[in-house]
Amino acid sequence: MMRAVAISLKIPDNTAYTAAVALRRLGLDVEGIERSEIWFFDDGGDAAALLLRITSDETIFNPNKHRAAVLAAAAPREGEVWIEPLEPVTQALAKGEAAAIAWRLVGAHGASADRELLSAAVERLLCNPAIERPVY
Amino acid sequence: MSARIAVPVFPGTNSEGETVRLLRDCGGDAELVHWSRADTLHNYDAFVLPGGFAYEDRVRAGAIAAHDRAMDAVIEAAVRGKLVLGICNGAQILLEAGLVPGTGSLRRPTAAFTRNGPVPHFVCRHVYMKLRIAPARCAVTASLPEGAVVPAWAAHAEGRLAATPEHLREILGGDHLAFVYAHADGRVDEAAVPNGSAFGCAGLVNRMGNVLAIMPHPERDGRNFTHLDRCEGENVLAPSGGAVLFRSFVEALS
Repeated sequence: MMRAVAISLKIPDNTAYTAAVALRRLGLDVEGIERSEIWFFDDGGDAAALLLRITSDETIFNPNKHRAAVLAAAAPREGEVWIEPLEPVTQALAKGEAAAIAWRLVGAHGASADRELLSAAVERLLCNPAIERPVY
Repeated sequence: MSARIAVPVFPGTNSEGETVRLLRDCGGDAELVHWSRADTLHNYDAFVLPGGFAYEDRVRAGAIAAHDRAMDAVIEAAVRGKLVLGICNGAQILLEAGLVPGTGSLRRPTAAFTRNGPVPHFVCRHVYMKLRIAPARCAVTASLPEGAVVPAWAAHAEGRLAATPEHLREILGGDHLAFVYAHADGRVDEAAVPNGSAFGCAGLVNRMGNVLAIMPHPERDGRNFTHLDRCEGENVLAPSGGAVLFRSFVEALS
């Protein structure tokens, strides 16, 4: 079964921080941002084995700075948008790149971002529609 | 009083030194302006955004800088018709800011200089850019001869022009394709293109003709000692090669 795996930083994520500052400057009420790389793998029917392999191979995962999670569904989580390249995902994988970047936005008072906030962040900064598309 | 040229420096910019020096050697009154002094940018008559990795290419190359306060002033100036030249990362910033090709709204990009293809590697290679538009179509190129071939260095991992088919048609139809990669003799073919760029694009101009975005670095082929075709015995520090574009930029201000 194809599984989506999210690789995120457990050390401070400067890119996420910079994006949050830029979005606030654009007038969006963003309290925080979490960013992950989304990779797709066939788990051969064993999600735990897949996670173990990713974390022990240390190719796309560095235990000193990353955390990894196999997602329950191959779709954005609550308050999250994925930005994926317009070129086919298979081409991105062939280049050794993540299939998408997940941006999880936290709005005012720690609430998960709603669709309106996500769309605004996508249109104003997170996605260049010439080369990328959002997945909500 | 001569026109004042600002060379804005963002955190991560790395080509500001050679850019400002070559502008001065070509007769320009150029100064570096730190991003934290954005409030002074309205005092300048023209802008050259140098190469590098502004804001470490976070989110996308040029994306954060395009929303920086310093770019508020550059965008305002460009809309009023002032000259703006972006080189490499500076070009990426101009595309992210929506100034070039300028077929959409400001800060809503319709094209990108993105990951090289077909192999997505960093390219460091001497190249030639051929002027594809009528020189007068762009104020920056107005002093160049028709079909001018400008030497430069390509030094980027993200220099491939990409856009949706609709916007690529607009780029061609609107005469935005300012420079294409070429051979030294001006021949244009696929072998001259270092990065898989659509149409072999090396540079784009906006509708008004006052904003030019080029991916290769003419300033790195701007003096005899960096110019491949120099003759022995010439003053090694004298401007040559890619300096023609800088001279043309300065002449446009006079």
